[in-house]
Amino acid sequence: MNKKSLIAGTLALLFAATACGSSAYDATPLPVKETPPAAKPAAPAVQDCTNALQSYLPDGPLPAPNAMPAGSTMAKIAAHGRLVAGVSADSLNLGSRNPLTGKIEGFDIDMINAVADAIFGTPAPGQPSKVELRVISSPQRLPVLKAERKPGAIDIVARNITINCARWKEIAFSAEYYRSGQKLLVQSDMTTVKSLDDLSGQKVCAPAGSTSLDNMIKANPKVVPVTADTDGGCLVLFQQGKVVGITGDDTVLAGEAAQDPYAKVIQAPPFSQEPYGLGMNKDQVDFVKFVNGVLAEMKADGRWQISYNKWLLPALGKAKPPAPVYGRS
Amino acid sequence: MTQTTSAPPATLSPSAPQAAPTGPQSSPAPTNSRQGAVRAWFDGTPGRMRALLILAAVVAVLFGAAAAQGFRQSEGALQRAEENTAQLVRIQAIHTNLVSANANATNAFLVGGLEPPAQRQQFVDSMSTAAKLISEAATAQPADQEALGALNATLLTYQGLIEQARANNRQGLPIGSQYLKDASASLQTDSLPLVNALVEANEERVATEFNNVGNGNVWLYLAGLATLIVLGLTLYWLARKTHRYLNVPIAAAAVLVLLTMLVGGTSLANASGAAKDTRGDAYADTLALSRARIAAYDAKSNESLTLIARGSGAAFEEAWKKSSGTVDDQLAVAAGSAPDLQSKWSVYKKVHTDIRESDDDGNWDKAVGQAIGTSDQTSNVAFNEFDKQSSQNLSGASDTTRAELKDARDGLPPIAWLGLPIGIAAALLITWGMSQRLEEYR
Repeated sequence: MNKKSLIAGTLALLFAATACGSSAYDATPLPVKETPPAAKPAAPAVQDCTNALQSYLPDGPLPAPNAMPAGSTMAKIAAHGRLVAGVSADSLNLGSRNPLTGKIEGFDIDMINAVADAIFGTPAPGQPSKVELRVISSPQRLPVLKAERKPGAIDIVARNITINCARWKEIAFSAEYYRSGQKLLVQSDMTTVKSLDDLSGQKVCAPAGSTSLDNMIKANPKVVPVTADTDGGCLVLFQQGKVVGITGDDTVLAGEAAQDPYAKVIQAPPFSQEPYGLGMNKDQVDFVKFVNGVLAEMKADGRWQISYNKWLLPALGKAKPPAPVYGRS
Repeated sequence: MTQTTSAPPATLSPSAPQAAPTGPQSSPAPTNSRQGAVRAWFDGTPGRMRALLILAAVVAVLFGAAAAQGFRQSEGALQRAEENTAQLVRIQAIHTNLVSANANATNAFLVGGLEPPAQRQQFVDSMSTAAKLISEAATAQPADQEALGALNATLLTYQGLIEQARANNRQGLPIGSQYLKDASASLQTDSLPLVNALVEANEERVATEFNNVGNGNVWLYLAGLATLIVLGLTLYWLARKTHRYLNVPIAAAAVLVLLTMLVGGTSLANASGAAKDTRGDAYADTLALSRARIAAYDAKSNESLTLIARGSGAAFEEAWKKSSGTVDDQLAVAAGSAPDLQSKWSVYKKVHTDIRESDDDGNWDKAVGQAIGTSDQTSNVAFNEFDKQSSQNLSGASDTTRAELKDARDGLPPIAWLGLPIGIAAALLITWGMSQRLEEYR
């Protein structure tokens, strides 16, 4: 009897050994996805000045194209052969890549081209201005201007930057070239929503590192903020139903509403003032003065109005160029 | 049925709880007389012979079973190494197709206007090939099914985003490029980690099976030695008891066991050696080539993304450098199977350097032209050359791997089937030999 159970045991062991050599593998483990903790937006920067709109007064009339004062920032740009500008590629009508032509175009881009033309001269018809457009995201706007100045560094940023005191500490601004205001975009059938106050507890998107985000939290802290790197990122989240609304500058929202027939911008007065300026390096004051001269010329000779009418008039209605404020020293 | 009361049942069990005294001559009860008979059967010299006979026969049969088991194990390991290699190549083909599809989609977006139909076709082909391979892979390896199912789900999202990008692009809406970016990001962060997990799991399985090929020998040698010792002792004891030098049938059984052990052991060692060679050679090349191809497609994607980012693509260029380095490393490993591949990759690298030069000089349009233009010196052309050649080399190396493993398996003698009959034959020989001696005690 014992012998039998011994044999039976041995056989059982044999079968067990056979089974363990068979093709039964552990299931392939699924990679564990780490969900980054919800980014808490940083506290809004302190705005402790009263003269944010003040820029540097131009030194007399502009130098002639291709004759920049020796040693100036403009002379360095001329030597580099092109103006390097940081722009957006997905803010329709401000700076966006036209999918049909592949070219980046818009109101902001016109400003950049005007500055380049003032340095290099107006290009022959059909020729592009001497600019190199670099697509940057919203949080990159200030860092690229603070980067070390060397050939190829971004000279100027035209990416709907709001002029404010906190940013003046990091970069320099031109005089105001457009007065925008922050509004709210929601789905077109949300008729009961009149302002941010009606969206408490709901998710609303704003670009990361923008004043829109700060303003939204200030206007209604009960809104759940969601950020994306670009304006287009917010629109995608909106179309996927991951946020119920987008808040941002009226210019940007108009461009987004134009791409989505189910979106509407709420027609209430803007809940903040967003004066746009061109961003430049803090230490290149000569260049800021030069750009202010170019903007003043554009506003005076109607080029500003032509560009506005082309890009923004259909969505935002009539507007006049904002008057420059100088006096910074 | 369930009770265990004291009522004396007509039990046959000798170990019943109320079993009577155990002395052989004590009781004439039926149970005890039976026990006594068994005892008597194993009593004295003939009894010991019978005991030895049973022991030796059982050990011989067990040897047969162990030899069969050893062979089955080695053969199984070889076959599974082959199957897992096939699965690994399949998964890596899925990987290649996905990164290739993504490279085509991002590339198509560099051109203003509509994407070239040929490029769209390539995207569609890559995606449907990947889909087919996924269902094939799920059938081939049940352990991969869950991960493959998850992969399928992420690809639905990916393809949905790509189609949305395309639809928006077709209407001239800039939001299309955001959808493309999101699609590419979802492939990178959701799909590819799954593919990597699959590759890792399958590489591990192949490695395990390669290691197992040699293990069959342990069964064969351990059981063989034990059997030989038992048979040797039996022969020695018989020689002393019966004053005959050699019991021929039992000696024949021992020779049979020894032969099985030697022939089986040598052939298993050979197969194991062949598997080792394949692992260091054709299989290593297969792995290196598929890694090189994946890294190459990744580099190509990053080249497009660098251009799409228009000046903000420093991170993508870094990624390009890393992938390109991986390609170089892996090509060096696979140099044996693919000697002229490195030069093709170098041609592409040269074009890439030119593209970066143009772009860094601010000449973006020229850079795009060098990447996807119509001349025959573009990065697309150079990359296609590499793609074609490396694909050929890869299927060559993977075919060689599988053929070599199959040869190793086919070269094994059929001991997996013959093992048990051999053991039984040995047991019969032992019985025969022992009964000759037992006869003398009748």
